[in-house]
Amino acid sequence: MTTTTTSQGAAFDTIEFFKALQAEMNAAPDRFRIIGDADTAFAVVMRDGNRTFAVRVRFEELKCPEVGPAAPRGDVDFTLVGPLHAWRAMFDDIVANGRATGLHTINSLVLLGNDVHLVGDDPMGLDKFSRFNQTLQEFFDGAARVVARA
Amino acid sequence: MTITADPKRYAELPDVSPMGAPLDWAWLRGAQSEWGVKPKPSARGLTMLDIAVGSYGEVPDHPEHRSMAPRGCDVSGDTPDMGYILNNKTDMWADNVTELYEEAVARQWSATRDIPWGELQELDDDVEHAMCQLCTLLTEVEMIAADLPAKWMWRMNHDYIEAKMFLCTQIMDEARHAEVFRKRALANGGGLLLSRSGPTSLLRTIIEAKTYTQATALMHLLGEGFVLDIFRMGELIAPSDVEKRIFRMCMQDEARHVAYGTMHLRYAIEQDPDVAEEIHEALDHGEAVLTEFGTAPDVSTALAVLLAGGVEHVEDKGFPLSVEMSKKQFTSYLARCERAGVSRLDRTTIPLDLLGIDPETIRRAAA
Repeated sequence: MTTTTTSQGAAFDTIEFFKALQAEMNAAPDRFRIIGDADTAFAVVMRDGNRTFAVRVRFEELKCPEVGPAAPRGDVDFTLVGPLHAWRAMFDDIVANGRATGLHTINSLVLLGNDVHLVGDDPMGLDKFSRFNQTLQEFFDGAARVVARA
Repeated sequence: MTITADPKRYAELPDVSPMGAPLDWAWLRGAQSEWGVKPKPSARGLTMLDIAVGSYGEVPDHPEHRSMAPRGCDVSGDTPDMGYILNNKTDMWADNVTELYEEAVARQWSATRDIPWGELQELDDDVEHAMCQLCTLLTEVEMIAADLPAKWMWRMNHDYIEAKMFLCTQIMDEARHAEVFRKRALANGGGLLLSRSGPTSLLRTIIEAKTYTQATALMHLLGEGFVLDIFRMGELIAPSDVEKRIFRMCMQDEARHVAYGTMHLRYAIEQDPDVAEEIHEALDHGEAVLTEFGTAPDVSTALAVLLAGGVEHVEDKGFPLSVEMSKKQFTSYLARCERAGVSRLDRTTIPLDLLGIDPETIRRAAA
């Protein structure tokens, strides 16, 4: 399977990469305890031409118990959809700065809506993107440590 | 219901204290309430959801009493009426309110400790002024979402304790928001700037709502939904990681309040469809006042400067982005109205054409 890498060589459009983010979150409960429990499931979808990578992630309390392939219209509160190059730019920024900065935070990307979109059928599910946003951002920011260790 | 113990078991206990005061052992001899209920803690501890078992988890549609007696206990017949006027479950309940209470408790944060104030950066003069103007406005408007539940909570029947507890968390959240924006206005060498009449019209409309359900429509669904999107926008335009964190943390709190309001309205309408018209009337007026507030010169210029990164590009970048943000705000609001069961698509006076909002897209998404 073709994968795409960050500038630092990490293949981020893989289940393995998201499992590494999962492990990073689960290994740092103190970082997430400050933010508090989060209970939500969401999907990240990356598209590049005809190729689509989709992963489902679930948060429960301070942990991330599940990461796996996302089924079409699967059981999620919201889905983050965007082209591969936008996700690559986000992870590049995270790795370069230790956390997302400027317009590369997940809220900023979605709000601008140029590339990454927040989609879902239920406004209550979509609002969980806001309710657990700091947890979500910390989860993505874990990429900096994952790549640094690789 | 069961008697909790053998009434004869403690028959030999004294009737009078050593000081001569009468004693009552009724609580030891038994009660009609459930005894022996032993809820199991979940992985995160013993939550309010965990203890909502048996009769303790039954929330009555029309409570028998109007006292502060805890729901589920035996209530003496001479307990005084507290003068509650919201005595129906439909008046304030939402199916997600207990979950939201637990979430609020778990996700409390400190404006003193959890914001990296030491990382604030010196900003260009125009950007600092714009941030301070936005913070002045937010410090002003945030406390309405504390004052309003405080106005109504003491009138809510005590059997709806979970709803009252959630509203207590909202009051704490709003106190923290007022705190954090006041701190930000001062922390970087700027200060509080201008307050004009625009926000006050909106705040008065909310606080003077005739019923709690109308108040919820105006505050949780309309006002806080709008402010939630300002927080999301604030995170986007934040000049440093300090402001980004402030807006993200506030965003999380505000989204809980919106979730409660949306689901309360839905519950109220499901139980009594006639309530929908009462909500529509409140929103007819509220949308007009909110539009006036949102387009107020102080608010729109400060946001446009922040969106443009300074006054230099305010016209070619700031204002166009501002229109895009308004489109997103009103689209989110209209979608939440659909979810609440109070469709505004055929009734709103918000200029959907001007904003480029297609009502059919929202309608289809909600279907």
